[in-house]
Amino acid sequence: MKNKFLKITFAASLLVGLSAMNVACTDADLEEKTNPGTFLSENFFRNEQECFFALVGTYDPLRKYAGGFENLVTFYNAASDDFYAGGGSATDGAGIQGVSNFQINQNTMPASYWRDYFQGITRANTLILRAPNAVMDETTKSRFIAEAKTLRALYYFDLVRIFGNIPLILKPFSATDDLFNVPQVAPSAIYAQIESDLTQAIPDLPMTVSGDQKGRLTQGAAKALLGKVYLYENKKAEAAAQLADVNGTPGGTSQYGYKLVANYGDLFKSAPVTEANDPYKFSTESIIEVMHTNKANSDWSFWGQGKDEGNSICIMTAPRSYTKKSDDAPDIVSGWAFNTITTDLYNFMQNDPRRDASILNLGLLKQQNKADYSPAYMDTGYFLNKFMPKTYMLTNLPGSQELNYRQNYILIRLADTYLMEAEALGGTGSRAQALLDAVRARVGLASVPVSMQAVKDERRRELVGEGHRFFDLVRWGEAASKLSSKGFVAGKNEIMPIPLTELTGTILKQNPLYNN
Amino acid sequence: MNLKYSKCLGLAAVLYFTANYSAQQRVSDTASKEKLIEEVVVIGYGTQKKSNVTGAIASIKASDIEAIPAGRPEQVLQGRAAGVNVISNSGQPGSNATIRVRGVTSYSSNNDPLWVVDGIVVDGIGWLNQSDIESIEVLKDGASSAIYGVSAARGVILVTTKKGKRGSLNLSYNGFYGFSSAARKLDLLNATQYATIINEGFANDGKAIRFQNPSSLGTGTDWQKQIFGTGERQNQEISVQGGNEKSTFFGSFGYYDQSGIVMSDISYYKRLTARLNSTHKATDWLTLGQTFAYTHQKDQGINANGEFGGPISSAANLDPTTPVVVTDLSTVDANMYSNPNIIRDENGNPYGISPYVNQEMSNPKAFRYTQLGNFNWSDNFIASVFAEIKFLNHFTFKSSLNGKKAYWGSQNFTPLFYLSPTYSNLVNNSLSRTSQNKFEWSMENTLNYQNKFGQHSFNALLGTGYYDYNIGNGQTITHTNLPISSYQDASFNFALPSENRTSNTWDNVEWNKASYFGRLIYDYDNRYLFTGTLRYDGSSLFGANHHWGVFPSFSVGWNVNNESFWPQNNIVNSLKLRGGYGTLGNDGIEAFRFSSFYLSGFNYTNGNNTVLTGYAPGSLANPDLKWETTRQVNIAADLKLFSNVNLSIDFYKKKTVDILRPIAIPGYVGVSAPYIANVGDMENRGVEVELGYKKNWSDFTFSLNTNFAYNENEVLSLETGTKYLDESGYQSMGPTQRTIVGDPYKSFYGFKTLGVFQNQAQINAYVNGNGQMYQANAKPGDFIWQDANGDGVIDDNDKVNLGSSIPKFNFGATLNFGYKNWDLMVFGQGAAGHKIFQGLRRLDMLDANYQTKILDRWTGEGSTNVNPRVTRDDPNKNYSRMSEWYLQKGDYFRIKLVQIGYTLPTDMTQNFGVSKLRLFITGENLFTFTKYTGYDPEIAAGDSFGIDRAFYPQAKTFMFGANVTF
Repeated sequence: MKNKFLKITFAASLLVGLSAMNVACTDADLEEKTNPGTFLSENFFRNEQECFFALVGTYDPLRKYAGGFENLVTFYNAASDDFYAGGGSATDGAGIQGVSNFQINQNTMPASYWRDYFQGITRANTLILRAPNAVMDETTKSRFIAEAKTLRALYYFDLVRIFGNIPLILKPFSATDDLFNVPQVAPSAIYAQIESDLTQAIPDLPMTVSGDQKGRLTQGAAKALLGKVYLYENKKAEAAAQLADVNGTPGGTSQYGYKLVANYGDLFKSAPVTEANDPYKFSTESIIEVMHTNKANSDWSFWGQGKDEGNSICIMTAPRSYTKKSDDAPDIVSGWAFNTITTDLYNFMQNDPRRDASILNLGLLKQQNKADYSPAYMDTGYFLNKFMPKTYMLTNLPGSQELNYRQNYILIRLADTYLMEAEALGGTGSRAQALLDAVRARVGLASVPVSMQAVKDERRRELVGEGHRFFDLVRWGEAASKLSSKGFVAGKNEIMPIPLTELTGTILKQNPLYNN
Repeated sequence: MNLKYSKCLGLAAVLYFTANYSAQQRVSDTASKEKLIEEVVVIGYGTQKKSNVTGAIASIKASDIEAIPAGRPEQVLQGRAAGVNVISNSGQPGSNATIRVRGVTSYSSNNDPLWVVDGIVVDGIGWLNQSDIESIEVLKDGASSAIYGVSAARGVILVTTKKGKRGSLNLSYNGFYGFSSAARKLDLLNATQYATIINEGFANDGKAIRFQNPSSLGTGTDWQKQIFGTGERQNQEISVQGGNEKSTFFGSFGYYDQSGIVMSDISYYKRLTARLNSTHKATDWLTLGQTFAYTHQKDQGINANGEFGGPISSAANLDPTTPVVVTDLSTVDANMYSNPNIIRDENGNPYGISPYVNQEMSNPKAFRYTQLGNFNWSDNFIASVFAEIKFLNHFTFKSSLNGKKAYWGSQNFTPLFYLSPTYSNLVNNSLSRTSQNKFEWSMENTLNYQNKFGQHSFNALLGTGYYDYNIGNGQTITHTNLPISSYQDASFNFALPSENRTSNTWDNVEWNKASYFGRLIYDYDNRYLFTGTLRYDGSSLFGANHHWGVFPSFSVGWNVNNESFWPQNNIVNSLKLRGGYGTLGNDGIEAFRFSSFYLSGFNYTNGNNTVLTGYAPGSLANPDLKWETTRQVNIAADLKLFSNVNLSIDFYKKKTVDILRPIAIPGYVGVSAPYIANVGDMENRGVEVELGYKKNWSDFTFSLNTNFAYNENEVLSLETGTKYLDESGYQSMGPTQRTIVGDPYKSFYGFKTLGVFQNQAQINAYVNGNGQMYQANAKPGDFIWQDANGDGVIDDNDKVNLGSSIPKFNFGATLNFGYKNWDLMVFGQGAAGHKIFQGLRRLDMLDANYQTKILDRWTGEGSTNVNPRVTRDDPNKNYSRMSEWYLQKGDYFRIKLVQIGYTLPTDMTQNFGVSKLRLFITGENLFTFTKYTGYDPEIAAGDSFGIDRAFYPQAKTFMFGANVTF
């Protein structure tokens, strides 16, 4: 019996002990699981490496000009008198179709134009706020902060030109903030902030960059941007002053190393992908250039996420079902046929030496039986040639060919700043004449007497398809007359409607006349 | 395992040590299962007599499952129990099913129920050999499932596998072999009809016609004939079971092979399974047991529900004027076939390329060549081990340890090909392989006390559990530009420069859960019944403010026929009334959603063409993030009538609050990932009826079991500031559904049409209150849009509710008939009360083929008031606007299974040592009664919420097979 008693006691105490051990699961056991490979926000920005990561993240939204289907260049090309939307049909891309005939409304305006820029602004705000506490070299720190301020200014400049009435946000949000009660401010307040950011940033930016730093913002870039901003605010004297620093002697080399490229066509060429370095990138004329690459091996899972690194204008502006029939026809890759060129622009460019670099007359090639293509929506036979994809540009790395074109996009170049300075000078005076002449001389055109109209016409010829024409027309007050046949309504279509998803739940008000 | 885990475990090793003691005490086996004649139902962590069950539990036994041909195991639940809806996601072999218990519980991402197999929580039962199943119980109501706490809100399904029977060794074989074909095809236009309609589209827009002589084109290509073929299906399995007083065991091997009815060499599924279960009574008071299963799967699939490519959507959209194979290049534009990488058939002739329909569409026969080198595979190991100690007469202590390890991956070879000008791969071929693995384990300890004092019976349970999820990692490797051209020669062993070899590897984010639970079951004299449960769960998925939650429930019952006042009669033999209430949780979110992280991937390239890694703020932190809560009330009655009729009626109402959703924070906040918060409520209410009749007389046996369920779903609230959520975008049409307060989840929303304009006068007469024409740009033949809100303008505010995408009614019936050695089984199921959106035709492809419905288009005044004119430009948006014209009723009833079997007389078979030999023929999906014109009305009611984008349809199959028991 003793045996049995012992055994029972032993068994019972074992069980009690086991059960007791089991009750010990606490919060600590749940919280020991971690999220590997990430940084908790409160731990970031400790050193130069982490600040640099954040700086790269702040440069990332620059891809909005040429990257992804909803890119700024094809969208605003379609809004101008130089292009139609094009594409597969009237329903291919609600946004770009809507801006082409100005039927765009708060449901069809793609939200990414609002969101992507504000993401860039938040990244800049976070860097500007947290980098001062990082442990790193002070000059580098000031440079990072200056670059972030310049980028913030650039993103606000695009936002205020696109939407007009936007909120001004200068620090990052936290979960406890009242996220929905942020008001819009008058455009003048945005411009004041842009001017302040650029003016503060300029002294801390380098004069020139080289090697792997090409593409980073320099003093010249910030000044050119500031001059452009002043011009949009109609502060002509200030604009002329900034742009003069950037331009230097018309036709010569400026203090920042800027000089017009000898061959106009080289600005839009791309070397074959088999060559590791593309000599056409970062020419002497390039002031702010957005870098694209095929090395990210972008595939369709990136599409719409904002992570593909290729230039999407290439596939978008190529004709559909292109077939080459004769040896002297170009080796074009078929694409989606957006941004077909208006007959109006083609006629305007008739005798201009820049015509063939800018416009591909595929209708003529088809007539001559040298090539064939399948006309798509709003086809005119004329296609934008500056980003036309050729077979030697197809990526040889993994990833889809449509998403990996490495042609860069030049946001601001010297010819553009020459003409902006001429405009800021009122289109009169010897300096304005010299600037106009230099742009024309580059392509072998003779001098014409300078005037505002001459400068405007030269802008149209020089910058075809680079996404500037619509903004120029609005700035000059000529949008209503030039775009009336497309459906432009004055007092409404100078700015885009704020996407409905961005208004929901907030105190933001829709832009005038877009309320439906 | 480190110290922390062992603290939560309770050392299993010690139990094995004590096994060596032989206790003298004899424990009387008051609950010995094999002595009970009463039907027993598995409830969470135990079993209960069916007559005493107070919750709503649907029970399916092995005998019901045996007749169902093997395929996806969860299909055995289809149509067997009211309130449990199983909907195939496609007819592709190996495709899983959507399971909903009592409607759509929540409108956050995951609505799948919790699967528990032999106490192991698993993601699904695709790996399970169907004939290993002993029983399946679905815990439908709050009271029965609350014991599973924070994971129980979407319903709990308990699967118990066979453990073996005491007695002599039993060997059995089951097998079948069958052929499948498409049950239904679409009615598409032939070449002449197509050319006529295309011409009309041009003409109606004022343009030149394309085809000069449509009738000369004849019938052209029937693309559906090119993709549909005969699929084969077979299942072979052997099982062994046996045991003595001390041990029982069950072992099985199974092989299942199915090839699809669409392009069967790139659409197939193979599965190999093995299992060993055993239990041992080591001593009178100690029982040990284990289950172990291994499954190997290999499959390949085509795009089973999508309009962006794949053989099915290509067959629906390609123009019939393109030949399948071009034998004479002079009949086509030779330039289209000049690329060296075009695909040719065995005779060297190129496969036809459409000059009109491109983008992702391609000649399916040519497309097939690009897919031959692709396949997916997986290996699953699922095991559990337990020890059970009975002591002091009434106590049972059970400790179980479960684990599962899965390895899976895929391999793909993409050759150089040119399928069309827009769909080609001309630069590099590529070979890629993805492998992943995942390990999950858990441990549960329970202490059970059972006793009876006079008329009072008690069964009390206390338990703890610890669960660890998602331990694992994965990698994917791609080699490009291999020096070979066909998938058969492809290998990762070719030496390639490093820029042609890329890889990506990741670690899984793990999470864990700890639980304490208890239950009390009490009955007085088998008349008054009570069950109460309580579970306390803590999960690492939730924010610091809400790690832990409490989930209580109770249910009561009354066996009225056991009362003394119950008059014995032949009409109502038994009557039980029951009701209950429970609170359950839903933890279906990703880990670490409550924290704010800096995420990478926001890259930019530097001047030397190096892609630099960029980081940006991910989201905002939400320390208040917690689970969703579902509260359910259930009231029911179970009756047995006329000795032969069983009737059960359940009424339920369940409300889900704190639904987890990525809420739209304003874009100006500038974070790159959505912010998850608990917002929103939804409710489901319904009735379930199960009616069965059973009768035997002389040599005949007959039974009919039917079930019927009605469910009403209503969204009660969304996040503040949101009037509705736009859902289910369809190409460029935009959203076709809305989730809006007061309507069911994902209801169809669009424009109503008042008919078709027959003439210009009608257009001019359609004016608003101010006398302005509503549709000034319309032409005769265009739709008349309704100004639903009366504001004088036709715009998106005129979208109205056009119907529900979720069926309101689900029903099933099984008829079993037997005569001597013959048996007949007929099973049918159906659904009704929902609409299906037919989105087969690509809107942006103006030259895509049409269904024959287009032949009823408007051709002139008075021709039709239902269909608009054919137009390509479509300024009135007849085709590009979401309207009721795109919707059809989805009601259907399908004779799913018909099986005729013959069991050879035992005296004949026993001469060969065979105790039972049954031969059978089965027909599956024989008849479908429906008005829906697409491929298959069943699939639309599942995960795709009524949007048919060219589903891979289910097949009609005939199988013949045998069951042999030795």
